[in-house]
Amino acid sequence: MGAGGGSNDVQWCFSQVKGAIDDDVAEADIISTVEFNHSGELLATGDKGGRVVIFQQEMENKSQPQCRSEYNVYSTFQSHEPEFDYLKSLEIEEKINKIRWLPQKNAAQFLLSTNDKTIKLWKISERDKRPEGYNLKEEDGRYIDPNTVTALRVPVFRPMDLMVEASPRRVFANAHTYHINSISINSDHETYLSADDLRINLWHQEITDRSFNIVDIKPANMEELTEVITAAEFHPHQCNTFVYSSSKGTIRLCDMRASALCDTHSKLFEEPEDPSNRSFFSEIISSISDVKFSHNGRYMMTRDYLSVKIWDLNMESRPVETYQVHEYLRNKLCSLYENDCIFDKFECCWNGNDSVVMTGSYNNFFRMFDRGQRRDVTLEASREGSKPQQVLKPRKVCADGKRKKDEISVDSLDFNKKILHTAWHPQDNVIAVATTNNLYIFQDKVN
Amino acid sequence: MRYMVGRGVKRKLSDCEDQMLDLPYPQQRQLVLNLCLDKLQSCQRRAEPSLHRSVLLANTLRQIQQEMRQEGGPPAPATPHHSPDLPPVPSDRPSTPVAALSSSLLCEDDVQSTCTELPKGPGSEDGGKSQDLLFGSFEITNSTSYLTDLQLDDIFEDIDTSMYDPSDFSVLACPPPRGSSGASLGNDYNLKAFSTSSSTLQMCLNDLDHIMEILVRS
Repeated sequence: MGAGGGSNDVQWCFSQVKGAIDDDVAEADIISTVEFNHSGELLATGDKGGRVVIFQQEMENKSQPQCRSEYNVYSTFQSHEPEFDYLKSLEIEEKINKIRWLPQKNAAQFLLSTNDKTIKLWKISERDKRPEGYNLKEEDGRYIDPNTVTALRVPVFRPMDLMVEASPRRVFANAHTYHINSISINSDHETYLSADDLRINLWHQEITDRSFNIVDIKPANMEELTEVITAAEFHPHQCNTFVYSSSKGTIRLCDMRASALCDTHSKLFEEPEDPSNRSFFSEIISSISDVKFSHNGRYMMTRDYLSVKIWDLNMESRPVETYQVHEYLRNKLCSLYENDCIFDKFECCWNGNDSVVMTGSYNNFFRMFDRGQRRDVTLEASREGSKPQQVLKPRKVCADGKRKKDEISVDSLDFNKKILHTAWHPQDNVIAVATTNNLYIFQDKVN
Repeated sequence: MRYMVGRGVKRKLSDCEDQMLDLPYPQQRQLVLNLCLDKLQSCQRRAEPSLHRSVLLANTLRQIQQEMRQEGGPPAPATPHHSPDLPPVPSDRPSTPVAALSSSLLCEDDVQSTCTELPKGPGSEDGGKSQDLLFGSFEITNSTSYLTDLQLDDIFEDIDTSMYDPSDFSVLACPPPRGSSGASLGNDYNLKAFSTSSSTLQMCLNDLDHIMEILVRS
């Protein structure tokens, strides 16, 4: 069974949860990004403390459809350290904003991880053999006096316990004045882009001391700044095409063949505002927090505060589909503005065959929208629902006062429990959902 | 109208909404305005101000101020005076205090960037951008000609402090100037100008005077 099946066909079951159990969350443990690699065998998370943890799916049971394999820790390393910018007297946070995997070319795995200022290319490689039998060195490393050597031997490789090593191969620094919010690897397998609030740069994966600026929306007079870049992504197949979203709810598609500096877009995607929904907070909630191309490259999805929108790349005037994530919050915007929740940046993701999209919400709820079946479901990531293979029960939020059994009223929602980061396995119905400091893995129920 | 700024504490959502619903629109707007100013202040106090958030807040603030102005506040020009030769500034240009606030919030130093620009094609802009990269220190100095055209009083001409009831604002401790960045200093004082009574406003004017002298070398 592939990644097909809508949300009503699929019954989602708890599989695993990673992270500390206690409610007292250490700031460094807050998960800030989640990403499957291209095969889905590896699952990477980044956290506020600058660490990357990679989980690997055990492959032994793959042939048995009854039980899906589990993800276990494969490698853990410190990607970024806190830095201090002496010129501006500012601390640079070590929080990992994004991780993106490179397509696998050889035995090793490569990923890009970035904090606010610096992107790093990490190589993750396995070592399961080591050379033994040196002539001038003991096994423990002590040197042997050459005068005592009477016979020579050729060192041989002998098996050892598997060791996974992560080493930084490239550091791409000093190219961003503002905070990096996105990185995206090009389908040409040679370049990638990095985007901050005002600029987008194009890099070659091998070259660290130079990058090309391809978008610059910084006005000559900073007093005129009213819009920032919020996310950017390369097209999955067309290596000359990328999009970037803005804090005003627009998406610009750019073609790098048109000009060196892509300040002029090829296409501008924007939906006219619904005048009946106008409020003080209209602009804030229209700010796009994430943009993702579909796997087939024909659509893109955007996430703003209250909704998910699917755009056909051939139609700029309005999205082809709009899904309300938590419309019951529309009447609560003032409170959400007051407690800063209105600035939360939710991400979104596609399933493998682009039939279902997923995004997070509050109270550790997350939502799935089946595009073909026109159905949606709300599920919860919590320890209560975490018995092995336990089927997740759909949740419902009651917007008005007439709360039914098992429903939750809006006022009971916990706005500290937010799911900002979710990821979907590229082929299978396996999803990774990050609460504040825990990573939940859910799978579809296989009969 | 008192308000609380929640910080990650689970609290009832309905408080703010209940307050909002009871109020007539102008007071609702005032509440949001107060929240906006408070958030912009705390944005500045953070170790790492978020440009994204600052821009959203500044836009909201500007929108509310424009609305209040259009509704028959004192008919002050939204724009500073320019010399007659220059074309008139468009009316949606942010008023100077907001602009100065935004610009100092958003001020960044480009000198560190090693980013290279590809050779510019025909029709692209001149070296203005590369000048920013090389020399851009404080944003405000890029517009010094704009400042020299102004009389100091003009900057504050369109602030009508009667619109802001001092009792509506919690007493905001003035954060000590951060570093030696002139823009940072200016920002703190501009914020003070918003939210304090006229006596401290006068004090701020004197300080601003001093800063202006440094920047404009007049």
